[in-house]
Amino acid sequence: MTGMEIFGAWIAVFLTLAIFSFLYKDNPFYKIAEHLFVGISAGYWAAIAFWNQIQPNLFGRLWPKVDGELSGLKAFWYGIYNFFGWFHSGIFPEGGIDKGHEIDIWYLIPFVLGMFMILRLWPKFGWLARWSMAYIVGLAAGLRLYGFLSSNIISQIKGSALPMFDSVGTSINSILIIIGTLTGLFYFFFSQEHTGIFGKISRVGIWFLMISFGASFGFAVMGRISLLIGRFYDLITYSSAEYFHASWWVLGLIIIGLGIMAFKEKASPESH
Amino acid sequence: MMKTLLDIIVKLGSVDRRVIFLIIALVVFLPLIFPVGLTIKPTDTTRRSFEAVDELKEGDNFLMSFEYGPSTKPEVNPMAVAVLNHAFRKNLRVYITCLWPDGQFMAQDVLAEVLPDYDKVYGEDYVLLGYRPGNEAVVKGIESNIKGLYTVDYANTLIDEIPMMQDVNSLSDIDMVFSFSAGYPGTVEWVQYGCDPAGVKLSTGVASIQVNEILPYENAGQVLGIIAGMPGAAEYETMIGKKGFGTSGMDAQSVAHLVIVLFIVLGNATYFIERKRSQKTY
Repeated sequence: MTGMEIFGAWIAVFLTLAIFSFLYKDNPFYKIAEHLFVGISAGYWAAIAFWNQIQPNLFGRLWPKVDGELSGLKAFWYGIYNFFGWFHSGIFPEGGIDKGHEIDIWYLIPFVLGMFMILRLWPKFGWLARWSMAYIVGLAAGLRLYGFLSSNIISQIKGSALPMFDSVGTSINSILIIIGTLTGLFYFFFSQEHTGIFGKISRVGIWFLMISFGASFGFAVMGRISLLIGRFYDLITYSSAEYFHASWWVLGLIIIGLGIMAFKEKASPESH
Repeated sequence: MMKTLLDIIVKLGSVDRRVIFLIIALVVFLPLIFPVGLTIKPTDTTRRSFEAVDELKEGDNFLMSFEYGPSTKPEVNPMAVAVLNHAFRKNLRVYITCLWPDGQFMAQDVLAEVLPDYDKVYGEDYVLLGYRPGNEAVVKGIESNIKGLYTVDYANTLIDEIPMMQDVNSLSDIDMVFSFSAGYPGTVEWVQYGCDPAGVKLSTGVASIQVNEILPYENAGQVLGIIAGMPGAAEYETMIGKKGFGTSGMDAQSVAHLVIVLFIVLGNATYFIERKRSQKTY
């Protein structure tokens, strides 16, 4: 067991118990954990995205590793690269980025669109970010339309074409699925008032929807309990002598901290 | 007598929420310390997932995609461990991709846990391609040109230098995809942009919260099977005969569910009793 592993365990225990302390009430321990989570998540995501995509797949395509002498336009192009490399040789290593790409000047387009996004931070040129946003929205809409049309509409309609006269169990299942699908669709048809026969059919749809929400709630509870088991499992592991009883120490310190805060609050209620 | 009973129910149903938190904590904590060993019976969805992997032949290309992070690790990680064990036992060639940034570290954790039991060679038996940002665009990229998307693996080894990548160019060269998903992007994106267009078999292990969303795809045959949350993981562990974290958490899960159901019943009973009493008052 290395010192860093033990230190990591103490941090994990503190953050877990700090989050749990919210169940008692909002307090500074919870706030620390919450702010750390938001900040680290954002920083972590940005770093991962940069080193997994922007550096290898964007810069790596604009300035791939080249061998031999450079001349003309290529020399000028790699001159710009060397200028960037002067600032940070980790991102722009000498001789180009070796990620298995050939030079592809078309990647200047995403590079420029990416720069436009950053210009949002500069109000005078913020409007340029709209071009990048337009591209993202257009691309996402096109890509999603195809996916939804094929997998969520056509395949789902095919999937609801079920055998009606099979074994008793299968037939009952098929009838239930067909009734549920049709009445559910009726409920979401808002061009007509939900009264009379139409209202009764859509009411059956509501029942199916409620059963579905109930199932979702059940799964949500199951998921949350699983996560709680995961945290408890770690707390039990970290309470061992190997980790210097981290769980017990941190639990004690947090309880003392909360106790002091409650005492101070009681002593001067007007300040809270 | 009846009035006393109703008073007790009302009192139990209106306890401070912190008492309920404490009780839930206890019923989860105690079975972890003193396991009961309740029976685990595989459900049909888990069985279908198992059978889909089991039907693959030795040397088939099997893609595992990691779409979860530390927040859902207790649920999804045990399934990934169980399925990777199954894949290695069957000598499948395992390709690992990640749609979530943390997925790469989850994949590394799973490999570190499973690899010591097998004699597998990196690049020949399994490869970790790593994370690429882009959500559904990444799935689309894998579907059309995997080498265009992944020019290097997670450790920056050139893809052309990895032996098991020589004959894999797109998703149609993969025999089956197994997505471990806890949200977006995840299994839904694999259905829509990967496996449906390429006609490749897909099975999945998902966090409980996502099960209802995936069930229609399973009913329509777009997904072969679903491992649903921690209970699903425990069932898969039972089927491969290798108990793990999923199984060890099932006692706590079962007892906690019973207590939650009891609280829901009590809460509702209190609501109806109090409503009836207030109606009588007016």
